[in-house]
Amino acid sequence: MTSIDLALAGVSLGAITALSGIGLLVTYRTNGVLNLAQGGIATLVAYVFREMVVEWNLPIWLAAVISLAVVSPGIGLLLERLVFRPLARRRASAAESLVASLGVLVLSLGITAGIWGLGSRSDAPSIFPNSSVQLFGDTRIGADALAELVMVIVFAGVIGVIAARTAFGRQIRAVVDARQLAELSGVPADKVAAAGWAAGTTMAGLTGILLAPRFQLTPYGLTLLVLETFAVVVAARLSSMTVAVLTALGIAILQSELKQFTLHGDAGQILTVLQSNLFIVALLVLLLAVPKLRELGSGDSGATTSFSSRDAPPSGRVSGVRLRRDYLGKLGGGALLLAPLTFAPSDLRSAFMVPALALIFLSMVIVTGYSGQLSLGAAGFAGLGALLSLKLANGDLFGLPAMPGIASMFVGALLVAPIGLITGYPAIRRRGLTLALTTFAVGAVVSRFVFEQPTFATGLYLDPLTLFGWELSEKAFYVFELICLGIGLLVVRNLHQGRLGRALLALRDHSEGAAAVGVDVRNLKLLAFTVSSVIAGLGGTLLVHSSYSFSADDFAPLQSLLWFTAVVVFGADSAAGAIVAAAFMVTIDVLAPAGSSTLAIGILALALGWMPGGLASAVRGMLRLLAQYLADSFVDPNQRAPRPVPVRISAVGHLPATTGITGITGLPGIGSTLRAARAGHYARWPLSGNQDGLPAGAPRLTPFGAGLVGMVQQYAATQTAGARRRQATDPAGAPRPTLPRPAGPTPTGAGAEAHPAEGGRA
Amino acid sequence: MSRHVLQVVGLVRRYGGLTAVDHVDLVAPPGMITGLIGPNGAGKSTLFSLLTGVEQPDEGKVVLGSTDITRMRPDIRSRRGLVQTFQVPSLFPTLTVADNLLVGAENRRRDYAGGLLGLSAQGQGRISHSAERVLERLGLAPKGPVTQIVEEVLDSLGLSDVRDTIAGTLPTGALRLVEFARALCARPDILLLDEPASGLDSEETAKLSQLLRRTAAGGVGIVIVDHDVDLVFSVVDQVYAMVGGRVVASGDPETVRNDPTVRSVYLAQAPLAAAGHSREAH
Ligand SMILES: Nc1ncnc2c1ncn2[C@@H]1O[C@H](COP(=O)(O)OP(=O)(O)OP(=O)(O)O)[C@@H](O)[C@H]1O
Ligand SMILES: [Mg+2]
Repeated sequence: MTSIDLALAGVSLGAITALSGIGLLVTYRTNGVLNLAQGGIATLVAYVFREMVVEWNLPIWLAAVISLAVVSPGIGLLLERLVFRPLARRRASAAESLVASLGVLVLSLGITAGIWGLGSRSDAPSIFPNSSVQLFGDTRIGADALAELVMVIVFAGVIGVIAARTAFGRQIRAVVDARQLAELSGVPADKVAAAGWAAGTTMAGLTGILLAPRFQLTPYGLTLLVLETFAVVVAARLSSMTVAVLTALGIAILQSELKQFTLHGDAGQILTVLQSNLFIVALLVLLLAVPKLRELGSGDSGATTSFSSRDAPPSGRVSGVRLRRDYLGKLGGGALLLAPLTFAPSDLRSAFMVPALALIFLSMVIVTGYSGQLSLGAAGFAGLGALLSLKLANGDLFGLPAMPGIASMFVGALLVAPIGLITGYPAIRRRGLTLALTTFAVGAVVSRFVFEQPTFATGLYLDPLTLFGWELSEKAFYVFELICLGIGLLVVRNLHQGRLGRALLALRDHSEGAAAVGVDVRNLKLLAFTVSSVIAGLGGTLLVHSSYSFSADDFAPLQSLLWFTAVVVFGADSAAGAIVAAAFMVTIDVLAPAGSSTLAIGILALALGWMPGGLASAVRGMLRLLAQYLADSFVDPNQRAPRPVPVRISAVGHLPATTGITGITGLPGIGSTLRAARAGHYARWPLSGNQDGLPAGAPRLTPFGAGLVGMVQQYAATQTAGARRRQATDPAGAPRPTLPRPAGPTPTGAGAEAHPAEGGRA
Repeated sequence: MSRHVLQVVGLVRRYGGLTAVDHVDLVAPPGMITGLIGPNGAGKSTLFSLLTGVEQPDEGKVVLGSTDITRMRPDIRSRRGLVQTFQVPSLFPTLTVADNLLVGAENRRRDYAGGLLGLSAQGQGRISHSAERVLERLGLAPKGPVTQIVEEVLDSLGLSDVRDTIAGTLPTGALRLVEFARALCARPDILLLDEPASGLDSEETAKLSQLLRRTAAGGVGIVIVDHDVDLVFSVVDQVYAMVGGRVVASGDPETVRNDPTVRSVYLAQAPLAAAGHSREAH
């Protein structure tokens, strides 16, 4: 084939990618959400289309109309109404939108896999006839490519005109800039958002239907293909449709052109992989080349705090009751983990997966829950750990002699550390969604270039593990897994404690603030990534040993997304949550048809919108309420000392957790503070209801200190007064309160007045 | 330990065609309060971010003591003694007040890996956490210098009563105080305050100025940017006035107050001496 023929062969894929990119851009530019679920939706629609044509024998045109004019936009409208509108209403952070769209992705995958299974189908119908058109001489172009190209031009043109020339376009820009402002000036923001979603999902459906006949139709495979098209929107910096279209065509044509070369040896192998994986490589390269995609939401500080499911560990003395309860909880958990030892062998074998997955989930708790980095590459680390340890055990790595199984597992996991460290480097300057995409791309590239390559991943033997010459029985292996999990928990505990724990939490809460007081942000991020990768690697080896085989599918890039969602659902900063999540997924997959756990996680992820902080937080909150209720029924509530209500308890109710509302001002900490202040939650502030301002037994303040406290207290009083007044007049509340400045003494600040505020004057 | 002086030499920062900071020279000695005033867009905030390392200058250098810190990362500058507070209070909302301060106090050291192995950098010796906890329960916990500093600062700012309150639940006024306390715990040589009085009323502002004087008397150099000229002139030892990215006047408050350029450009409305200059910040 000549260069021109190859180029024309690439046009079709390029055009489809461009369509996908246009869909992503439309959703992003109308809603500010980068729809990670694009791939899942595309796959679902492709399956629906195939079902109608192949199983129900509908004519292709009818099936296409139903899929593209009813099903696809319907999905978009539903998503907008049920998932993303509530998020936009409470100005959820970018991280929350990310989790929501991951939830949609996982849910749509679960639905597809649940209905049609995970197997591949090669009978996906094509909407275009399999003919070609003569261009000139012998050069022909497929009718499909031509039609797709026309579609790209029409859609891009129409959308471009709408955006630039019409009133609707202006409304779109207004909504994206400031949704509430736009609404106040009469723009129907919800309609604009809904239109954007409907258009985006329609393009997704179209992408799916067009892609399916070109490849095998599998839920995971097609989804991943669409995710790879994110390269073009990254190149377009999430704004320029023209750049997206040109990049799509460019990469596809280049990929096609690569087919005319053949190389030998290692280079040849790389070339072969590149010939079908240029998009994912381009995604990684682009993300690495563009250090700050400002459009992808700057600022990680505050963003991931919304995953926080509980308060920081206490630095002071832990009360005896609390300690006892902690120990009880741990004992109970330990007993549950030991329970499989009494199971029948087949059930025990299923339980093997639990500690392995739990370790992988723990690795995500470290990076996301503790240090606030969004990382979607866990499967890559886990797979590398597994592969390296297998190679060590087989004596197949760097000419090293074969190692005993158990040693190879630990060494293999440790060998992942440098890779984790390297992956951590992009994290120093990237944050939020950019980092999430970067880590995803790393995982995908590792999967394509390593796990799926026969040279690396075949011919490996999995010998039974031995310890001092004894072959480990199945029970012993499970115990060994538990020991590994224990090691992981120990590391996590140390990470969460003391100076290191505080520094990590500070980094998660407010990275600029942390740097400003000398927290070594860079090294901490690297440390978190490195430790996390080793733990994931260990989990990966265990996973391979529990399923008795290394399969690239177990460590496919989409697994990372699924796992990440599961971790967030069960409380991203909860080690216990990680274990529960693992047990949950394994149990469901054992009891129900394959893919059910995906479905369940997807549903739970969408429910997150109503319970920020994850299941762990909800359960904790419920227990607390229950305890409170029990206490109240035995003790007269009025007799007990008034207890300050932590704001966070509201996580189970209607109010989001304190830190989940950073969206109010877009500034970390501020929104939460303001809302807390307005809701009167600073009841703990010592002086606000207390005449002399000091609890009995408290150390006496220096006069200066007393003066300062007075000042703060008075401030608090004016705040409540202001907040009350505002509530009376303006229920919505101003985003940033202006301070009321009463000329005389504050009307409600009785406590403040009584306090010798001038005492501090030296 | 002698405190460092902050020196800024010929600092330039351009945004496209606009020179936001234009050959600025500035000296902030320890123990003194340096004010920085100027109308909106004068380049004050940009200068601050050049000092703290959030932005990189196009020309010029920033010297702390005898070290050129122009290219250093923000956290390294902070460990060397150049600590800032933010215009929007930036506490760690999920940590308690005491932990917020501890983070500030602890991070002159960087050996985080020790913590991973269960070693604690708290206290003088390195003991494991479990050991520390046992000691603590016996009432024998070694009070390291770090904990001491935190307790002292909490005490002297009257924050002891909220030491175990989650910072995210505090009202804004308290947040400013806690952030100031956190900066103090980092043992700064030079403290950069970005509009510390915004959001405070006149009485609170008076308290703030006392606090600033006390801090400076303890040997800390302070650089303060604020739109409240009354506050600035009442508290500072020297003032720099910026207009259009340039320093147009500097020296003791009296000189700057009477400088014709400052009067014409910045304080056109009224002579500064007359009180009641309203704050522009809100
Ligand atoms: N990131 C940026 N990109 C482009 N221009 C900028 C940027 N940051 C600041 N500027 C410009 O630099 C000039 C100085 O801004 P700066 O924020 O430093 O002023 P300021 O003295 O702090 O003003 P204010 O009192 O309003 O806070 C302004 O004209 C501003 O528009
Ligand atoms: Mg400014």
